[in-house]
Amino acid sequence: MSSLPVNRQTALPGFQETDNTAENPGVRAPLVLNMDRFGQVTRQVCQVAESKKPPFAWYVAFTVSLGLVGLLGFCVNYLIFTGVGVWGLNNPVMWAFDITNFVFWVGIGHAGTLISAILFLFRQKWRTGINRFAEAMTIFAVICAGLFPGIHVGRVWLAYWLFPIPNQMDMWPQFRSPLLWDVFAVSTYFTVSFVFWFVGMVPDLATLRDRAKGRIQQFAYGLFALGWRGSNRHWHRYEVAYLLLAALSTPLVLSVHSVVSFDFAVSQVPGWHTTIFPPYFVAGAIFSGFAMVVTLAVPARQLFGLKDLITLRHLDNMNKIILVTGCMVGYAYSMEFFIAWYSGAMYERFAFVNRAFGQYWWAYWIMVSCNVITPQLFWFKSIRTSIPIMFALCLVVNIGMWFERFVIIVTSLANDFLPTSWDFFTPTWVDMGTMMGAFGLFGTLFLLFCRYLPMIAMAEVKATMPQANPHWSGYEAHDDHGHAGGSAKPSFASPDALRSPGSGPDGGPPAL
Amino acid sequence: MSSSKDISLPINDAQQSGCGCSSTQDTSAQQSGCGCSSTQDTSAQQSGCGCSSTQDTSAQPNVASTGRSLWRSLGAQSADAEASAFAAREFSSASDVLEGDDRRNFIKIMGAGFALAGMGLTGCRRWPESKIVPNASQPANRTPGVSVTYSTAVDFMGIGYGLVATSFDGRPIKLDGNTAHPYWGGTSTSWMQSRVLELYDPDRSRQVFRAGKPSTDAEFKSWLGERAKAMQAKQGDGLVVLTEKTSSPTMLDMIARFTQTFPKAKVVQWNPIFGNTHREGSNIAFGQSIRSQPQLENATVIVALDWDPFSASPFALRNMRSWADGRRVRAEDPTKQTQNRMYVVEAGVSVSGMAADSRLAVRRGDMPVFVAMLAQALGITGDSALKSAIDRLASCPASKNIVGDGEKEIFEQLVKDLKGAKGTSVLVCGDGQPAEVVALVAAINESLGANGKTLNMEPMSADTMGLPELVKSMNAGQVDTLMILGANPCYNAPADLDFSKAMGKVPNVARVAYYRDETSMDSACTFHVPQSHFLESWGDVRAPDGTLSVQQPLIQPMIDPAQGGHSAIEALGMLLTMSLGDSQPQDGYAMVRRTHMALSGLTGSTFESSWRTWLDTGMIVGKPITSANVSSRPSDIARAVNMLADAQPASRDASVELCFMNDARVFDGCFANNGWLQELPDPVTKITWDNALLMSVATMRRLGLSQGSMVTVNAGGRSMQAAAFPVPGMVDDCVSITLGCGRGESAGRLAVDAGFNAYPMRTTSTMRLVRGATVQATGAMYTFAHTQDHGSVDAALIPSVPHDGIQERLPTLVRQTSLASYKTHPDFAGHAVHTPHRLSLWQENNLDGAHFRWAMSVDLTTCTGCSACVTACQSENNIPIVGKDQVKRGREMFWIRIDRYFRGADPAKPNGFAIQPVACMHCENAPCEQVCPVAATVHDADGINSMVYNRCIGTRYCSNNCPYKVRRFNFFDYQRREPVREQSGPLAVKPEYYVDTGPNEWVRMQLNPEVTVRMRGVMEKCSFCVQRIAAAKIKYKNEWVKAGGTSGGTSNFSIPDGAIVTACQQACPAQAIVFGDLNDPKSQVSKLHASKLSYGMLEELNVKPRVKYMAKVINPAVDHSQHEGHSYTPAHENDGSTNKNQGAHS
Repeated sequence: MSSLPVNRQTALPGFQETDNTAENPGVRAPLVLNMDRFGQVTRQVCQVAESKKPPFAWYVAFTVSLGLVGLLGFCVNYLIFTGVGVWGLNNPVMWAFDITNFVFWVGIGHAGTLISAILFLFRQKWRTGINRFAEAMTIFAVICAGLFPGIHVGRVWLAYWLFPIPNQMDMWPQFRSPLLWDVFAVSTYFTVSFVFWFVGMVPDLATLRDRAKGRIQQFAYGLFALGWRGSNRHWHRYEVAYLLLAALSTPLVLSVHSVVSFDFAVSQVPGWHTTIFPPYFVAGAIFSGFAMVVTLAVPARQLFGLKDLITLRHLDNMNKIILVTGCMVGYAYSMEFFIAWYSGAMYERFAFVNRAFGQYWWAYWIMVSCNVITPQLFWFKSIRTSIPIMFALCLVVNIGMWFERFVIIVTSLANDFLPTSWDFFTPTWVDMGTMMGAFGLFGTLFLLFCRYLPMIAMAEVKATMPQANPHWSGYEAHDDHGHAGGSAKPSFASPDALRSPGSGPDGGPPAL
Repeated sequence: MSSSKDISLPINDAQQSGCGCSSTQDTSAQQSGCGCSSTQDTSAQQSGCGCSSTQDTSAQPNVASTGRSLWRSLGAQSADAEASAFAAREFSSASDVLEGDDRRNFIKIMGAGFALAGMGLTGCRRWPESKIVPNASQPANRTPGVSVTYSTAVDFMGIGYGLVATSFDGRPIKLDGNTAHPYWGGTSTSWMQSRVLELYDPDRSRQVFRAGKPSTDAEFKSWLGERAKAMQAKQGDGLVVLTEKTSSPTMLDMIARFTQTFPKAKVVQWNPIFGNTHREGSNIAFGQSIRSQPQLENATVIVALDWDPFSASPFALRNMRSWADGRRVRAEDPTKQTQNRMYVVEAGVSVSGMAADSRLAVRRGDMPVFVAMLAQALGITGDSALKSAIDRLASCPASKNIVGDGEKEIFEQLVKDLKGAKGTSVLVCGDGQPAEVVALVAAINESLGANGKTLNMEPMSADTMGLPELVKSMNAGQVDTLMILGANPCYNAPADLDFSKAMGKVPNVARVAYYRDETSMDSACTFHVPQSHFLESWGDVRAPDGTLSVQQPLIQPMIDPAQGGHSAIEALGMLLTMSLGDSQPQDGYAMVRRTHMALSGLTGSTFESSWRTWLDTGMIVGKPITSANVSSRPSDIARAVNMLADAQPASRDASVELCFMNDARVFDGCFANNGWLQELPDPVTKITWDNALLMSVATMRRLGLSQGSMVTVNAGGRSMQAAAFPVPGMVDDCVSITLGCGRGESAGRLAVDAGFNAYPMRTTSTMRLVRGATVQATGAMYTFAHTQDHGSVDAALIPSVPHDGIQERLPTLVRQTSLASYKTHPDFAGHAVHTPHRLSLWQENNLDGAHFRWAMSVDLTTCTGCSACVTACQSENNIPIVGKDQVKRGREMFWIRIDRYFRGADPAKPNGFAIQPVACMHCENAPCEQVCPVAATVHDADGINSMVYNRCIGTRYCSNNCPYKVRRFNFFDYQRREPVREQSGPLAVKPEYYVDTGPNEWVRMQLNPEVTVRMRGVMEKCSFCVQRIAAAKIKYKNEWVKAGGTSGGTSNFSIPDGAIVTACQQACPAQAIVFGDLNDPKSQVSKLHASKLSYGMLEELNVKPRVKYMAKVINPAVDHSQHEGHSYTPAHENDGSTNKNQGAHS
């Protein structure tokens, strides 16, 4: 592998990394390290699901997450049985943690589909290392997001009235309400993302099925593998479907957060009523989504030994996107201020000055320092490629993006038109518990996913390996046909094999 | 009157409003309120109003053939096979399934049935069971579902008010002023409104107690008989009756009879507030007791000296009406508009102070000097002694600091105004001042020619024994039997008297009172007997102009007859009967009739017909009281002024003074257990459920305190703890606290933790003011529940972003100008905001073809912020009280609120105030409607923004998008919740979903059946009293149909202007609220909306509010501000190219 532009090893204590971030226009940077056979990829990914016991840290994380799910269940039940008053909401601030969390989680949900759909359409091969779990993250984040609008209404048992269900009351939703648009946007987004994720996972599920030893695993993976046999026709249909789904998802990535932002932009609350919101929210969503992917990828690759598949280059690329979207968010913040001043609208101008210097100044400056200042550090390559630093910075970005939603929602509502109604929102423990619980729910689902499903799109990763190219120099250098183990080394006899690097039990073509 | 008195009444509604099946006794109530099952003891059913009956009328041919008396056809009767088959076919769809032999089909249907039953959850939920008692025979004069009004009256602090009570199925649910009353008119105060809630107070006394142990009325009567006999033997020596002030002729008659029967007995009247200051002052000034009532309608210059005429005064109602009449801006020609001018000179900030044209802050202790300075400047010349006394007082050291540099101009103008308004000016001094000041003010008034013109001088009867003398004789053991009728001296007597200790020396004490409170709980109290409410008993009252009204009961006492329930006159009547035998009438009805028979001189049928008229109209119009001719005695006044000068400190008094103020909510403490009043925000501080130690911002800073600091106040050798609260505009070096709070559990459950009791600080010599107080922080902090300036007033007091934001928008929200600049710029209100764009996202509903276009106009010139509308709305619309912890959370439920702003760049020293009532604006282009995802808030055909509670799921988006923030969310089931205070523990709020009965059956009886009681999770807001609109529509449409109009199709009936009166409008003492139809160009509201003063708040948002404000025109002594609207003009530039007619001034 000497021809690969792998330059140096970063040697921070505990974080031995192979650096594949160097750019060499003549040579494609490797996206899979230390592996020259497809089977290695398969084993690496499948061993997580196949091992008898996951790492100890998984148990710790799962226990904590499950505990938080219990807290969530308690808080939600207390809320529903007692009333929305158990939260700290008050008269002007009718939305606070509930919608903050909703928008936060919807935002988190953006990265997955962006990676899987938009980057797919743009032929960004590095997406293959991270798309699977980014998509899973999307789905779980949208589940968490969907929880909040559901439970935040005053009469939860009637929340189904939000859906256009024909009913004996002859009542129909009110289609001018952005809240209703949300219902459609988020449910569409969830459905399409889920289908996209599942369809992309079918070949890998088939691999797990074929490798499974226990009856239960065989049955379960077999059920969801939908009878995948890896035939040429399967692959053909699959790739067309995948392309179509990517095309379908791409506008959704942009639309869902635009629609979520309409909740605010269409209303007339000073601080909400701005036309910049749709692009600004989408940029913010991608920003926070990527930060969350990094936040999850760093421990996951460490824990499950996937460093060779989620390489420093992947993380570096994501950090670059965080830097770009962070700048966009910063631009939006400053543009909001400029327009508030330039418009001459008294209430609008006050809303922004008050945001920065009023009673919630601390929240505003947390937001600015986390979202605008912090990502600027990613201009430096040494920071972009330092695992501990990027992990810390991405956590900070996540916090900042939560505060962004809090600032937009709460500060605008708390000080709107009539000063006599101004109030201050103070969360109760139920607010905090519900918020923590949502993280618990997210963590639980994600940990279960890591444990039982292929975390990395094996089939797609293999396609990015040089070996997947039938004209790869290695094939010419030595003929591996007939080596012991048969399937231990990749062997591609025909160009067809390029399209099927993942259907056999070991990732190679079926032995016979 | 009402025939039923037990709690079954509201449940009867359910029966009567339903489909009207007759029901037998003890059927269980149905939750849905429709239909009643007819068999005995059937259990509750939830769904459907199917009046199930034991007779099954479904087709059963075989039954018919066996000779049932009911048949559907001759064929069926004759058991004709064809007919039977036809009958079976008639219900073929069901019968095929059930009668067919297809077992699987049967199981399917049954399964589906079970599933539906399960999904509907009808089988799973337990509905509360309660017994109903039907009205087996229809009471006379009552139509089920239609409310009835009765005129009645109430005596409050010795002043009679004429009332009209609305009764629904025997339950009084609303009180209002009697529109026909010549003195009061039809308006009301918060106190009057909330008396109906007092009737249903679950904490009211319902049990006779003897020495703390439950007893009976019979036992009390036999005890009273013994006492009467014993006292009669001694001619009443040692017998004392302690009552509250009263205007009731019957009560006065009973007292006279009592004094006649027991010649040596004493009668003492005691009220902690409105004591004898004015009586004593008139004694000094005129040598006789004179009640001088201000006639503000005749005044062009009003000077209130330490007097709050608009709140905390029993005359508030009248004062506000006549003051408002003198300044309402209605002149066609603005240049001819006149306005009275009110100066308020006060230590604290009062409702009147906020409404004043010019206000001077003067310490209460310095007020005598101020009055002397005024007298000096006016050149009061009675005689030389008086002149020199005035000069002496006016040159006291305090005089140098009273009128500050910025205020000199105002003072000079005040003097000038008074000099130029002889006969049309009036000075009124509050009872916070000593009698000597009252006398001096009387001299000034006389020299200004006020007497008989702006002051009505009415001679008063001689004074009775005072409380101090009573305590003295009690301590001396001279009192054997003390009968307390209503008064609560153990709580509110001056602390130095130690009434409780003195009562311990009286062997026999009986108390008839509405609450078993401090005096009744005292160990010395032999008997406590529950008193009846004024809506439960007969009585009469006398208004200050002499108009008499009969206090007609609306309901029988809601007390077991064996447990008392006497009124004060009945208690006295019982005492007299015990002494004089059964010839005496014992019930109030007979006593009141006897009085009025004697007063009117009518007898027999003439009396009967007059009596009926009096009851019907609510008053007996007597001869109006004419002002007595009295002249002052300058030498006595001079002596009094010299005494004042002697009492002034020798050097400038820089110590802090402690003032006792009247509470605008709980008054002297008698309303401490009234939730509506406890939760009513104080008009100035906006504090609910509490009082506070108020002080100016500078004083607060000087004392090193902040809002909510707990302090120990030491004054006059006594000390109390209270929490501090800043009031911008208050005079420095003065702290004030209202009386009547902090009663604790003895007043009832609601009074627990509600405020700080200032009575222990108050002695006979310091009834209103203690000099030389010290205030020390204890270090603890207290959280107030206030409905404005949430978070902290402190924060708003530091020049800051929020403060600048408030001041910047204030001129556009509350538009105000001075009379002088109004005359030159009468259209100033339209220029405050310039709005270039008014475009909608969607095609607007223009409500074309609406039959009515309901709208409201609120006159800011006359609104004083007294908050009567708030309580009236609460009473009419079943608005729950939420409790202190919920107000702290910012969740009060008022549908109308009074916004209060301080004006001026310096938040600590405001140069004015702004008051604005805000209810739902019923925007035509309502922002709330656009964002509701389930269409729960929509416009009705008349343009009312309606809230459909059934449809609301509680997303709260409407509230977020409401620029006025007038929507209120039911965070909890407030109607079912005890308004308890802060609970402890993480689960402070318990799931109370399955609590079936709510806080109390009694409280529920007050609910207006015409207004839905809202459950948790739904939004609510002002409905323009839609139930009243609907009632009027029904009435006038019926009349129209009867007169030949065609029902159905386009109905062309009209409702005369003024036929619909909203609750807030009805109550408003200043008549600042007008409601009506904009489609009627002649309606009052149409004219007001067309006025140049009319503006819509925030109408630049293109919401098209239906509620508009009449901009405020004030008449300040010194006009610093030109019309404020021009001080800030956002978006002044108007791009005329895009909006030819939309860019008009808003």
